[in-house]
Amino acid sequence: MKSSPIGLLVAVALGIIPAQSWAQAKAGGKVTVAGKAAATKDSEGVIDADASGSAAAGTDAAAAEGAPAAGDTPAEGEEGGETPTGSGLEDICKIDPAACPNLDMDKEAARPLKEQIFAVQQAYALRVRRFELQAGWSQSLNDQFVGHPTPNLALNYYITNVLAIGINGQYYAPFNLDKDFNAQVRRAARVAVPLTEYQWGAALNFTYVPAYGKFAGFGDFIFHYDAYVVGGVGAMSVRPIPVIDPDNRNFEYQTKLAFNAGIGLRIFFNRWFAAVLEVRDYVFNDKLESLTVSKIPGPGPNGAGNPNTWYGETSLTNNVQAQLGAAIFIPFSFDYRLPK
Amino acid sequence: MTTTKQKTTKRLVSVLAAALALFAFTERAEAQQILLTGPLAGAPAVRKLRWHRKGRFEVAPAISFTLLDEYQRTILMGARLNYNFTDWLSFGAWGAFGAIKIPTHLSEQIQDVNAARRQADPMSVYLPRQLTAVNLGPDFEKQLGSMDWVVAPQLTAVPFRGKLALFQSIYLDTDLYFFGGPAFVGIKERKNCDLGECPTSFDMASRVAIAPTFGLGFTFYINKWSALGFEWRGLPFSWNTSGFDTAGGGKDKKFPDNKITNDDRQFNFNQMLTVSYNIYLPFQYKVSE
Repeated sequence: MKSSPIGLLVAVALGIIPAQSWAQAKAGGKVTVAGKAAATKDSEGVIDADASGSAAAGTDAAAAEGAPAAGDTPAEGEEGGETPTGSGLEDICKIDPAACPNLDMDKEAARPLKEQIFAVQQAYALRVRRFELQAGWSQSLNDQFVGHPTPNLALNYYITNVLAIGINGQYYAPFNLDKDFNAQVRRAARVAVPLTEYQWGAALNFTYVPAYGKFAGFGDFIFHYDAYVVGGVGAMSVRPIPVIDPDNRNFEYQTKLAFNAGIGLRIFFNRWFAAVLEVRDYVFNDKLESLTVSKIPGPGPNGAGNPNTWYGETSLTNNVQAQLGAAIFIPFSFDYRLPK
Repeated sequence: MTTTKQKTTKRLVSVLAAALALFAFTERAEAQQILLTGPLAGAPAVRKLRWHRKGRFEVAPAISFTLLDEYQRTILMGARLNYNFTDWLSFGAWGAFGAIKIPTHLSEQIQDVNAARRQADPMSVYLPRQLTAVNLGPDFEKQLGSMDWVVAPQLTAVPFRGKLALFQSIYLDTDLYFFGGPAFVGIKERKNCDLGECPTSFDMASRVAIAPTFGLGFTFYINKWSALGFEWRGLPFSWNTSGFDTAGGGKDKKFPDNKITNDDRQFNFNQMLTVSYNIYLPFQYKVSE
């Protein structure tokens, strides 16, 4: 028991010793500043994270890339091993002159550094082995006659950092919008255009992410983004809106095979939450309303009430949708394989 | 008493030791903080930024494609000329003329029906010809409204500047910009006609519409003096794209009145996509600190 105060004092002393060594590192803090000064002299070939980064692509986040290089800069007054002056090295030179290091440090320092530096040093958000849950709102871009706004949900799993497999779906049914323009054309020109409305769509997709980068907003804050291409196969449930003979025709939804392809942009607000802007084309073979009306009334074999007489030509239809939404990556956090 | 005194001393020593230990830890943390933040204190978010725009003229031949057209698509050829006061603000103008006009499938369908009707009923005896007499001339595609030219002085703000890695092998400087200003649009549309004149009057007239224009775009810098640009532009204004009599009569003037008037101009949110090749003068850019 008597020894416990002494033990505690020893522990305190041990605790203080590292503090003293850190105090020495404070001097290193000065050195780091000196390193920073050196880091700005990129034109003179001094180690320069910023300059090398900008040499790769023009802009650099000092916060992301400047610090490690500054920390790596040798301390002022620190011996950089220019000549083998240490006693150990002298001994080696005495024993075996051939093994004695004989470097011209000025010459070595003048050699160009060929360190590989990527334009974007470390991907801000890794996707590999993460789920991406997307939710958004889509608007049709290419249909002047019927608007097809829809909510859109998607779930992707990233097999690699650039390749994902996933599913997505839309529910159009309550939102189809037959535009006034159609009625105006029918009234003015006595010409009716077959119209189609959609119920739902679903697809299995592959996503590939070939591009990523970062933006500096107002020269002040930095955010990261990536661009992807997506494609897949699925189904769409569609039916004609009766405009030629609405008295007799009442179409049921039919499911069609649909292929899709698109491109998207994801802007990361943090490492698990992003805004998504996507344009995707869903292509399917649409069966249009017949432009002719049977003069035979009733549901007989060729009657106007027989659904077999309601359909006309088939047409390859493109449903180009622009989507604005949000993406959440799960799990929320991840580990980099390398520190930098 | 002695035992009590010894215990008190031990407690005092323990407390002092704990306090010293805490002090020591605090000092370590502070020292570490200095190391981490020292070199970056006050450092800008971006260093050595290539000022692709600052103090440079931008001459950008551009081709624009209209979107969501009901009756006729237009491809406009033109150019954008900007002077960039700073790297984030520029003033200039975009000008283009409607070089190629392509009727939509709907226009072709209407003309097919119209031609068949005229052939079957040249004297306009039957109802379909009579009902469409005000709206359909001999060639529907020749009565369509068209966008002949556009001049738009505009202010451009470039709030976002960045870089892009493509396949980890192609690196590009990029920026995202927003622009806006007034647009002067030379349009050609069906000339106004009075009651009784319209079935025989399908002449066209030109006018200048003044409309707001705005949009956003991406620039991908290829080298020191050139870039590829992609932008979306909105150009909303009212015009008669079909030459139809759709309004002017009845309640709230929402029904046809057998005349072509200004009431027949429908509001259109005209939009277009533009691809441009941007050239920057002088050829050399500056670099920030």
